[in-house]
Amino acid sequence: MPHAFHTPAQLGELLDDATLTLEELARACCRAPEWVSERVEAGVLETTPSTSPAAGLVTWRFSSATLVRARRVAQLEATFDADPYLAAMTTDLMEEVARLRRRLRHLEEGTPTAQQGR
Amino acid sequence: MEFKDYYQVLGVATGATADEIKKAFRKLARQYHPDVSKEPDAEQRMAQVNEAYTVLSDPEKRAAYDALGAQAAAQGARSGGEFRPPPHWDAGFAFSDASRPYEGADHGQYSDFFEQLFGQAARAQRRQGAPSGGAQRGADQHARIELDIADAYHGGMRTIHLRTAHLDAGGHVVPEQRSLEVKIPKGMREGQLIRLAGQGNPGLGGAPAGDLFLDVLFRPDPRWRAEGRDIYKPLLLAPWEAALGASVEVQTPAGSLEVTVPAGSHAGRKLRLKGRGIPSSTPGDLYLELGIALPPADTDTARAAWAALGKAFPHFNPRQAQAAQGA
Repeated sequence: MPHAFHTPAQLGELLDDATLTLEELARACCRAPEWVSERVEAGVLETTPSTSPAAGLVTWRFSSATLVRARRVAQLEATFDADPYLAAMTTDLMEEVARLRRRLRHLEEGTPTAQQGR
Repeated sequence: MEFKDYYQVLGVATGATADEIKKAFRKLARQYHPDVSKEPDAEQRMAQVNEAYTVLSDPEKRAAYDALGAQAAAQGARSGGEFRPPPHWDAGFAFSDASRPYEGADHGQYSDFFEQLFGQAARAQRRQGAPSGGAQRGADQHARIELDIADAYHGGMRTIHLRTAHLDAGGHVVPEQRSLEVKIPKGMREGQLIRLAGQGNPGLGGAPAGDLFLDVLFRPDPRWRAEGRDIYKPLLLAPWEAALGASVEVQTPAGSLEVTVPAGSHAGRKLRLKGRGIPSSTPGDLYLELGIALPPADTDTARAAWAALGKAFPHFNPRQAQAAQGA
């Protein structure tokens, strides 16, 4: 029987468009930072350049959507020993299918069925 | 705990080759992939398949598991019965100290059986007292959370339940179910992640815990839907409201609003209420998708009213207008 315990309320942090660092993204995908940078350079993952005011350095930041995408790509690569570009293309198609399914659901919900006359 | 038959999960014989195991795994991964599968329990089945493959694809883990399976069979627990592994069941297998932080499936989705034998806490237990046992940050955990669109406007509080494992004072692996109350900040949109720092799996050797990421999904609601930060709401009008214009009361996720519908509105038109979408530094907009509802012609008076309307527009032919638009 699992032991159960309760933790007091925690305030969640919304991850906006440019929140995650390269290391955070890599860790959340269970991958090495090099894995992420290779896929950014290959155009598989998108990044938002962010300039650090102190050092004047341009660093990469990543959005929630990129983390979800990176985890899908990582999983496809690992499951099927897939080439990164093939995994990225499959992920593109999955995202498109999800978008179209959502659109279809809304259209089906919003379109009344026509009454056919005799 | 219940013994898990990983060979049965993958549908292979106990003597299956590594290649056969990989093929069976890929076939099931395709069948139960949560983004593709239409099976109702796809996510749960995929987690079981991942767990079985994590063990059977690693020669050392598989050998230890096979030895354990023989002991389970002796106890009559091979097919889902209650099973207790003997002390030092994994002695002589090298996977105990193998730390592979960049590999493997998501953490936090494994069964109690896996957690107690092969999980992070189990590895820590085996490393206790070992001079090579260094600190290791806990793995991040991921979970989905379903919210109402109204929560994006006001914020909210949700309790989520997580399964994990920890070491007790005696160094034993204890599976645990954790309830976590989460304050949801306002302004979230679907697909956005909420991070709870330090609420993932505990770290080893004094290292910090991982983070917990919550993937936000909005519960379907016939009243409105979200696209990014914009909200779309169907709004039905009476024919005279659409033709002459009207001031109507509209229910939105933020509460009730008085909206002026311009004269000459038609079905399919969208009215934009700027900044009334999901709040943010650049808030979304609220779109009212206009539709027209017809009063029923179910009494003599109602039929006479429709007939009078028809007489008032003797030259009105909606098919002609449609043809002129090229439809």
